[in-house]
Amino acid sequence: MPKSIWNGTISFGLAQVPVKLYSATESKSVSFQEVHVSDGARIEHKRICSKDGREVPYKQVVKGYEVSENEFVVLDPDEIKAAAGARGKVIELEDFVPEGQIDPVFFEKTYYVGCRDDAEAYRVLMAALERTGRVGIGRFTFHNREYLVAVRALNGVLGLHTMRFHDEVVEAGDLDVDKPGKGPSKREVEMAGKLVESLHRKFDPDDYEDTYREAVLDLIKRKAKGEDLTPEEPEPEEEPADLTAALQASLGS
Amino acid sequence: MPRTLWNGSLSFGLVNVPVSLTSAARDLDLHFRQLHKKDSAPIEQRRFCSKEDVEVDWEEVARGYELDNGKQVVLTDLELATVQPRKTRTIDIEAFVDTSEVDPIYFDHPWFLLPFGESEGTKRAYQLLVKVMESTERAALGRFVMRSKEYLVLVRPREGLLALTTLLFSDEVRPTGGIAPGGRKPTKKKVDPAVAVIEALATDWDPESYTDCYRQRLTRVVRDKKKGKTIKAPEEPKQPKPAPDLMEALEQTLAQMR
Repeated sequence: MPKSIWNGTISFGLAQVPVKLYSATESKSVSFQEVHVSDGARIEHKRICSKDGREVPYKQVVKGYEVSENEFVVLDPDEIKAAAGARGKVIELEDFVPEGQIDPVFFEKTYYVGCRDDAEAYRVLMAALERTGRVGIGRFTFHNREYLVAVRALNGVLGLHTMRFHDEVVEAGDLDVDKPGKGPSKREVEMAGKLVESLHRKFDPDDYEDTYREAVLDLIKRKAKGEDLTPEEPEPEEEPADLTAALQASLGS
Repeated sequence: MPRTLWNGSLSFGLVNVPVSLTSAARDLDLHFRQLHKKDSAPIEQRRFCSKEDVEVDWEEVARGYELDNGKQVVLTDLELATVQPRKTRTIDIEAFVDTSEVDPIYFDHPWFLLPFGESEGTKRAYQLLVKVMESTERAALGRFVMRSKEYLVLVRPREGLLALTTLLFSDEVRPTGGIAPGGRKPTKKKVDPAVAVIEALATDWDPESYTDCYRQRLTRVVRDKKKGKTIKAPEEPKQPKPAPDLMEALEQTLAQMR
């Protein structure tokens, strides 16, 4: 059983569900230490004052916000806390929206919601979310900062996603992308459509393993045995060939 | 124009499209700098060798990995780059799926894939991928390596461009065992009033109706502090008293909404 990271209450209307939060995800990447290439010794990070060039002990560190170039407003931790808001330990679900309406760009990080004490309230909320196909939208204060969250039924538990605000999402209109002078032809779209259908399958996350991770561990083993790890010659860059010909060849016709 | 994080190609059958990757999320957080209390000068994080106690330039930093026997193996970035080099340059489309089948728990970070370069052929091939995924309502799954990490990615059309979402691998999602309370499913009679409350609060997803109040408050705190005002620290939040009875609370909510 993992350790919970937050205790609080989810409310909807006047009903309250006492909950605990757990991390739902973890990185499995191979993690390295920074070392000095010449002697393999660990790298230490030191805080150095940019003015007097001396190391600064942690006690002498304050947080400042740069309001204009080189002009900082210093805030102490309590002052930063003042921005956390008054919601405290309650996640109030204010709106319930259809699950499929939220574009993937809004999702940030996922937590599992477990129950504290009142298991019935938890089960009732989960059953009601499942039946309506809706997710509850609310706000969540965590480490003195407020997040927009979506609470939903997720594989037999309640899940909580932190969400991006609309102004944090980049839209296509913010980017300057040229359209081709002549778009793809109807025939090309049809051929590509056949190719898409031939590769169509049901999404099963277990079908995709991180093989790179294993390959990195293998590289480490080879290096430990003293093997020479010379980079391969890069393959020549493939030029984009004639579109119709490439599609035809892909379809094997 | 936002920063390009990666350049390479998207490969679909024998069709190769040169693309660049740019973030679809903007960081609007207020970032604080560490300052030296005494002189308010910014603090710099610098790297030092723990053996010699001399400052080390970034070019002299390598990656160390400790083996089970305690022995350390040192790899340079150049050596690390010999691992699956094709994946660092190419996103190979392996399959097409329905976006709705991918649970949001797998979503990592949103990006835009943009056509790279001025070639008319690239722009057309890019447009073809947008068009074909729009018409078939499918999204592409592929894999690639960025900054020494492999990502499973979902590529789909969004507002006439290709959006790419990095996904977590299935073993990076924790099992749900032990999270849910045991016990029987609640009866229909108990769930009905909760469903009624949800229906009463039902609305369409409208992201613009939610503003980041935290960012606004923090901006205000900075402004007030600059003017020399005192900022009051909040009281420690309290756990609310548990509601007496779930059914009663739901009935009361519905009565208030009527």
